[in-house]
Amino acid sequence: MARQRYHDGLALRQALPGRFLPFLVGSMAFLAALALAGGIAAHSLSQRWTHGAGAVTTVQVPSPADPATATAAMGQMPATRIDAVLATLAATPGITGTHRLGDAELRALLAPWIEQTGDPSLPLPAVIELHTAPGQDVAANVLPRLQAQAPGVLMEHDSVWSDRLAALAASLQACAGLAVLVVMTVAVCVVMAATRAGLLTRRQAIGLIHALGATDSYISGRFATRVGLLALWGGVWGSMLALPMLLALSHLAAPFTAMGDAPATAPDWRDLHAWMALLPSALLWMLVVVPPAAGLTGWATTQLTVRAWLRRLP
Amino acid sequence: MFRLHDVSYAYGGSQTGVAALSHVSLDVAQGEFRWLLGPSGAGKSSLLSILSLEVQASSGMVEILGVPVRQTRRAGLARLRRRIGAVKQDFGLLPDMSVFDNVALPLRLQHRAEAEIAHEVHAIMKWVGLENRLDALPPQLSGGEQQRVAIARAVIYRPALLVADEPTNALDERQAGRLMRMFHRLAELGTTIVVATHNDAIVAKYPAPTIELLHGHLVRDHG
Repeated sequence: MARQRYHDGLALRQALPGRFLPFLVGSMAFLAALALAGGIAAHSLSQRWTHGAGAVTTVQVPSPADPATATAAMGQMPATRIDAVLATLAATPGITGTHRLGDAELRALLAPWIEQTGDPSLPLPAVIELHTAPGQDVAANVLPRLQAQAPGVLMEHDSVWSDRLAALAASLQACAGLAVLVVMTVAVCVVMAATRAGLLTRRQAIGLIHALGATDSYISGRFATRVGLLALWGGVWGSMLALPMLLALSHLAAPFTAMGDAPATAPDWRDLHAWMALLPSALLWMLVVVPPAAGLTGWATTQLTVRAWLRRLP
Repeated sequence: MFRLHDVSYAYGGSQTGVAALSHVSLDVAQGEFRWLLGPSGAGKSSLLSILSLEVQASSGMVEILGVPVRQTRRAGLARLRRRIGAVKQDFGLLPDMSVFDNVALPLRLQHRAEAEIAHEVHAIMKWVGLENRLDALPPQLSGGEQQRVAIARAVIYRPALLVADEPTNALDERQAGRLMRMFHRLAELGTTIVVATHNDAIVAKYPAPTIELLHGHLVRDHG
């Protein structure tokens, strides 16, 4: 006696077929994932350049064991030049860390030049790596004091190239953001066009159920649920398609972004954990977020499109 | 019940459109049955469209079931439509939905339980004599059968106002008689009914107060 099949009159499976929209939204999600990955990679490089090599200042102290010339201000007995320099650096705000290169580190660093001279007993200066807080330019303040204590001290800061690289990374991030914006705009237009086509296909049915007392929110809700689910499905496919490409790119980019040693060879293709370890957590989260974002965008766009279309009915 | 005061309606807008109704005023009480008469082009369908909220009057005041239409928001109009039944000349059935689903549609929009819907649909379809055609699609039915399905859908939720445009023109005399007896029974139960027709014989057989239009003007209101 009871009917088995529920029919709401809108027949949205016919009005909004289940292949066309997911394919288009999936393509958009794929492109958005790649653009977002580019933005995240640029951000990662920028962070590394700003907080890594670019934040290091090198101090060279010739004849480090000689007595310092001015330690009176510190109220101490005259010390060696290197001790005086290290003490001054330790008391300077804005310096987050110092590291005096050991003899082995120094010889390893200078090995090509030492080998050229053929004299392993060549006197070497002491070299100190300074880590400074981002945005701090301590060289201008501390260098005169260091030179007063140890004449001939040299200070090298690589902020010029790191600032340029950071600016380049910021530009790449902006381009990635723009690309995501364009992709989202195209996706919204695609959803609007598909929804309007669906509305035209079912305009007789919509007019009828409107006349029978269906509210705008009922009709727009049915359309938005259908489109939102199709867009979510497309987003899942787009993210899944982007995953292998991002894994490959992450493997290629690892030497430039990893703080430690990057693996020289690709992991075994069956070792999923090793591959997933290559992906930065931000990229993984991005892949997780893209499908619901696509679904939500589809749902909201359809709600607005259908409600605007329904305004023509009394 | 409904009240119209100085209502005009023009196709294509009030300024440049073609006038269909001019300065019509009516006051019909709850439970009244009215014939709506007039030649083709008199404005009968326009009046029924205004009463079933398919179109808005170009000017004047329309109050249906105590609700002032112009001052009511869209959600309120949707709720009001659920209390109005309409039988259109073209039947207004969805061709890709079964007879059962077409008739059940208004109840589903009211979120009734499926078991209750099935019971109501079977009862009304038995009354119109189409209980064996529930799974048919409207294009598979004759004109008279489609008209009976449209009537069943219009009355299944016992509307407070029922408007019908030529509801007997595809029915034979026996079916038309059954329909008229049902309309009168609904009116006794409190439904206000307006039926437009060209069928003088049925008007003579079932006498009732009339509204008569001519060239968009109200020429007779025997309330």
